[in-house]
Amino acid sequence: MDRMDKGWFRALTLGAVAALALSACGGSTATSVPSAASQAPGVSTQPSTAPATTAPATAGPKSGGTVYLLTQADQFDQIDPQRAYTGEDLAFFSATIYRSLTAFTYSPDNPTASKLSADLATDTGTPTDGAKTWTFTLRDGVTFQDGSPITCADIAYGASRTFATDVINQGPTYAIAYLDIPTLADGTSAYKGPYKGTGQDLYDKAVTCSPDGKTITFHLKLAVADFNYTVTLGFSPVPKAADTGESYGVAKPPVASGPYMVQSYATGKGGKMILVRNPKWNQASDSYHHPYPDQWEVDFGLDPKVIDQRLIQSTGNDAFAMQYGGMQPENLATVFADPKTPNTQFVGRADSSYDIYDRYLWINVQKVSNLQIRQAMAAALDRSALRKNAGGDFYGDYGDGTIKPNIGADYAPTGMWDTLLGQKIPDTGDPAYAKSLIAKSGVAAPTLTYSYPDTPVQGKAAAIVQASLQAAGFTVKLQPLPSGSYYSTVFDPKKAGDFGTGGWGPDWPNASTVIPPLFTQEGGWDLSQVNDTAFNAEVKAAQTETDRAKQSTLWQALNVETMKNVWVIPTFFPLAQGMIGTKLATGTGPNGGFYRWGPYGSNPYGDFYVKQ
Amino acid sequence: MAAYVVRRLILMVALLFVLTAAVFVLFTLLPGDPARLTCGKACSAQTIEANRHRLGYDQPILTQYEEFLSGLFVGRTFSADSPEPIVCNAPCLGYSFTRHEQVLTLIAKAAPTTFWLAIGAFIMWIITGISLGIFAALNHGHWPDRLVMGISLVGYSLPSFFIGLVLIFFVVIKWSWLPFPSYVSPFDNPFQFLQTMILPWIVLAVLNTAFYMRLTRNQVLETLNEDYVRTARAKGLPERTVVVKHALRAGLTPLVTAAGMDLAYLLGGAIITESIFNLPGLGALAVSSVLESDLPLITGITLVTSTVIIVANLVVDLLYAVIDPRVRLA
Amino acid sequence: MTTPGRPAEHPFLEIKDLGVAFPTEDGLVRAVEGVSLSIERGRTLAIVGESGSGKSVTAQAIMGLIDRKIATVTGEIWLDGQELIGLPADDLQALRGAQVAMIFQDPMSSLHPFYRVGDQITEAINAHRSIRAKAARAMALEMLRRVGIPAPERRIDDYPHQLSGGMRQRVMIAMALINAPKMLIADEPTTALDVTVQAQILELITSLQDEFGITVIMITHDLGIVADVADDVAVMYGGRIVEVAPTGVLYAQPEMPYTLGLLSSIPRMDRELSVRLEPIPGNPPSPIHLPLGCVFQPRCMYSDRVAGGACLSVRPDLLATAAGHLVRCHLPAEERRQISQGVLNVLAGGS
Repeated sequence: MDRMDKGWFRALTLGAVAALALSACGGSTATSVPSAASQAPGVSTQPSTAPATTAPATAGPKSGGTVYLLTQADQFDQIDPQRAYTGEDLAFFSATIYRSLTAFTYSPDNPTASKLSADLATDTGTPTDGAKTWTFTLRDGVTFQDGSPITCADIAYGASRTFATDVINQGPTYAIAYLDIPTLADGTSAYKGPYKGTGQDLYDKAVTCSPDGKTITFHLKLAVADFNYTVTLGFSPVPKAADTGESYGVAKPPVASGPYMVQSYATGKGGKMILVRNPKWNQASDSYHHPYPDQWEVDFGLDPKVIDQRLIQSTGNDAFAMQYGGMQPENLATVFADPKTPNTQFVGRADSSYDIYDRYLWINVQKVSNLQIRQAMAAALDRSALRKNAGGDFYGDYGDGTIKPNIGADYAPTGMWDTLLGQKIPDTGDPAYAKSLIAKSGVAAPTLTYSYPDTPVQGKAAAIVQASLQAAGFTVKLQPLPSGSYYSTVFDPKKAGDFGTGGWGPDWPNASTVIPPLFTQEGGWDLSQVNDTAFNAEVKAAQTETDRAKQSTLWQALNVETMKNVWVIPTFFPLAQGMIGTKLATGTGPNGGFYRWGPYGSNPYGDFYVKQ
Repeated sequence: MAAYVVRRLILMVALLFVLTAAVFVLFTLLPGDPARLTCGKACSAQTIEANRHRLGYDQPILTQYEEFLSGLFVGRTFSADSPEPIVCNAPCLGYSFTRHEQVLTLIAKAAPTTFWLAIGAFIMWIITGISLGIFAALNHGHWPDRLVMGISLVGYSLPSFFIGLVLIFFVVIKWSWLPFPSYVSPFDNPFQFLQTMILPWIVLAVLNTAFYMRLTRNQVLETLNEDYVRTARAKGLPERTVVVKHALRAGLTPLVTAAGMDLAYLLGGAIITESIFNLPGLGALAVSSVLESDLPLITGITLVTSTVIIVANLVVDLLYAVIDPRVRLA
Repeated sequence: MTTPGRPAEHPFLEIKDLGVAFPTEDGLVRAVEGVSLSIERGRTLAIVGESGSGKSVTAQAIMGLIDRKIATVTGEIWLDGQELIGLPADDLQALRGAQVAMIFQDPMSSLHPFYRVGDQITEAINAHRSIRAKAARAMALEMLRRVGIPAPERRIDDYPHQLSGGMRQRVMIAMALINAPKMLIADEPTTALDVTVQAQILELITSLQDEFGITVIMITHDLGIVADVADDVAVMYGGRIVEVAPTGVLYAQPEMPYTLGLLSSIPRMDRELSVRLEPIPGNPPSPIHLPLGCVFQPRCMYSDRVAGGACLSVRPDLLATAAGHLVRCHLPAEERRQISQGVLNVLAGGS
């Protein structure tokens, strides 16, 4: 499947999503599940000493044991807290080695999970000046693994590393985008990061510390209503003395702030990362983490088919294992009765639900400028054949926009396939209606070039796209590109075709991480080459709206507007399937069962414990 | 002889220059932009350029190649802006920004796995292939010959990924005779090492055993009909001496070439077997480096594996000259 | 040539009714059938025939080189009072090289390309006796000198490919004679050599034979060289001996039409150019499907002279026509001699 395509993964390094609306279990369990953030389970998790398990007979979370993560990847993309950006990695690190000011809540219920908890901070932050200034106060007793206290300076230093773009790259760049530091004529920040030191005074004005080092204040260049979500991404503390730059976290283990620390890390097939308890971390300074296992072991470079088989068998240490990423299509029938329900023997240890991605076909609006032509393309597309090709029901649901339902309140149905194109369009496409749209457009049906990554599945999909558009009178030329460099090619409009396949996952559960990146020039993922001044103004208004309910309404409207303009043709809201071994359980899942965690579309790493 | 070796080594160095230069050129000709690819999500034009500078791809290709070459001889420094720049001493094969490690370190870590994989499988197939081949040849036309040849035909027609997956499914998953392969050094845990390597060895050996069985049998049969073997018998030599000293010595000589080159290619990494059995060898590393568009790693692996193959070629030629006095090296 | 040799009750080598047959998928290949021969000590017997006539197989049977796993050998071979066919493999091996030695047609392929010639010779010594390496080397050196290798102390460490064809055959001879065998079988020893070298090698064999008193079996397809070296000649055809005679008799009074055919195909300096060489028309018989009667009958232009078509149906016996002269032919002796004289006259240039 194309979701396994490496280039696709790499391009879609991720962030957060919330509110699992369509999940089979979401609604029914919401009321019965306590918030992990506010209610510590009845287990003490004192580090470094044997846990004082005081509830012997009762089922429920217990400390101890080793949890195994089986992954196809040869290594973590990045370990550096300012560079990690893959959803699964962020979820894992934030549960184990790194702490941030805020964090998402462990819960199978997505609205609950998308709520922020305080982590290093005493609360989830205080906005002032219309959300242009944000202030966080640090908890007492928070320390790094060497026992030194975590101060405002460490957080400020961590965030400042993002500005050293020639060393610290691939990570989230919200610090550069939001902090109140001037932008130079060439588009780069006037602050060049802590290594060069150029513009350090500008940074020190934008991020200020109280004299006792307990309070950190961020001064933003624009109002950011959800900046307290932003600080989950790339704002973890780093002690300046330990910073080695490019090799940080790799040559030597990174300095842990969370309940675990890296004992060893070897990359490649057969490589392992071993995490052990951080002796200096203490539960008293942390109401967010509840570190049940004594140890974590990540096994790299495994064949994904073998991972599935091992988890299905679940023998030996595999009973304590989980997979990093989704299951292979060929094993789904063994584990699942239907796309949203596991078979009886896998209930509680398998889950199929929305991941955070959504899939679409982008249309270069500079090249295909006629709206009715774009509408005709959408109307002609045989989405039913595309879904069958991608894996059928297990692949996902038909999409109606770029905002996915599991993001929460920002989603509302757009009516894309019911009304927006003038009439209801069947899943199989309506070539006759598409022809009539072309006729109305006043131009001849153009010849279009379709770009796609050259993989077997995408090749077949391209043939379906070509056939269904040609049925409506278009001529479609195919442009297969090496899958590893697909995105880096299509971002250059000179090399890209007229339309092509694309995907996106938001950084956190707010459409502010969907609509601006996809449809504005500053966003960075504007495959459609949209540059609409009026639309940009509306986006700015939504971004700065501090009333979250009002903001949702604005995003919903903008979602509809992008669909009306057919800047992209929405195709699918994909599902992902995951599984754990028989002897693992979660603290908040239904009956301690497995669930996929909304904020990162990942495993709920901080919620696992070993059954004893 | 010495002059010949020197000439061959000079030729080898020239060939390696051409090969690495070709890798550089091919890499720039590939569609797609490694600076964009490794820039991360939602990358602005400025950050792409910063990343390009970080990776060194903002330099002209010739400059990049010159830096690569000078790194080989005098070493280089990467990420100069880091608080702790990456110092890569000569012979510096480069630094992988994808894996945050020096290419030489990465190769040095992967090489032992591939070495053990290759050597173990090699010994296995040479011993079984040659002894079964001789056995078949000495029983030419009788049932042992037919049995051995039948087995070899089956072994020959099975693709390695198929054998590998079948072995994993039955031996590991179904019957649980062995744990899942997880590579360790033989010096750290010899038992787990053997448990991990036995199946990959078998997979690699099956295919090659079939080939060497056939080759040996046909060679030995051919040699047994040689006039000099008849001479040896006419001299009154014991049959054992006739077969071992006269027939096998000559019959197995062509195997030196085949075996030497097969071993060399294997030392360059067994891509499929390493992938199936989760072995952190050069083959697996090479695949990842290509998928990750990691030019320094691709170049480094190319350089190292080509050197192994070219040196093996030379060694085989020298060995052949030692074995067969008719061969003159000039 | 006369040779000393005590009159013996038993000949030095006596072959009685030798048969060698190879079972194949196409049928039984009767390579040799009913071959009987005897040679007195110190004499030279030439066995002459086309390829496939069974002469080499006969030689290999004497050497015990026929692989019993793939062939059946019947009859008796008596060598100096010892029967060889029934002998265990180990005894045969001890015999080979020590009692009977053999040299072959192509000295290049018959010498092992990987070993120095001196080592190949000393290996032959060591196969039959325990001797110090130094002594063995000295013996090899001496023998190389005896067979006429110039500067043998340098040549002894050469590989076969560094020697000329004639040198290689001298090495083969040295290797064959190193253990002072009683008998030497030379299988086409000159066929692969240049004409000028051929004579030298034959001369060498003859002179060594005199010196060591060896009995020699010379196997050849070339009657031309036989005249100079052999005391007696046996002509083979289709796995059988068809004529045996002292060399002089055979040249002067051949009686078997096949022998006659062979003689007419020898190029001779004394013949006029106008006389056309007459190869024997037709091909040798398949060893699987031998003719029912005389094996030479399909190629014999005189078989219609035999009454009752006996040549087609009856195998002729090898019968004495004169002392020491045996012929296998249905033609009456008188008629054979007439035909023979007529042909020889034509060859001699008469009308």
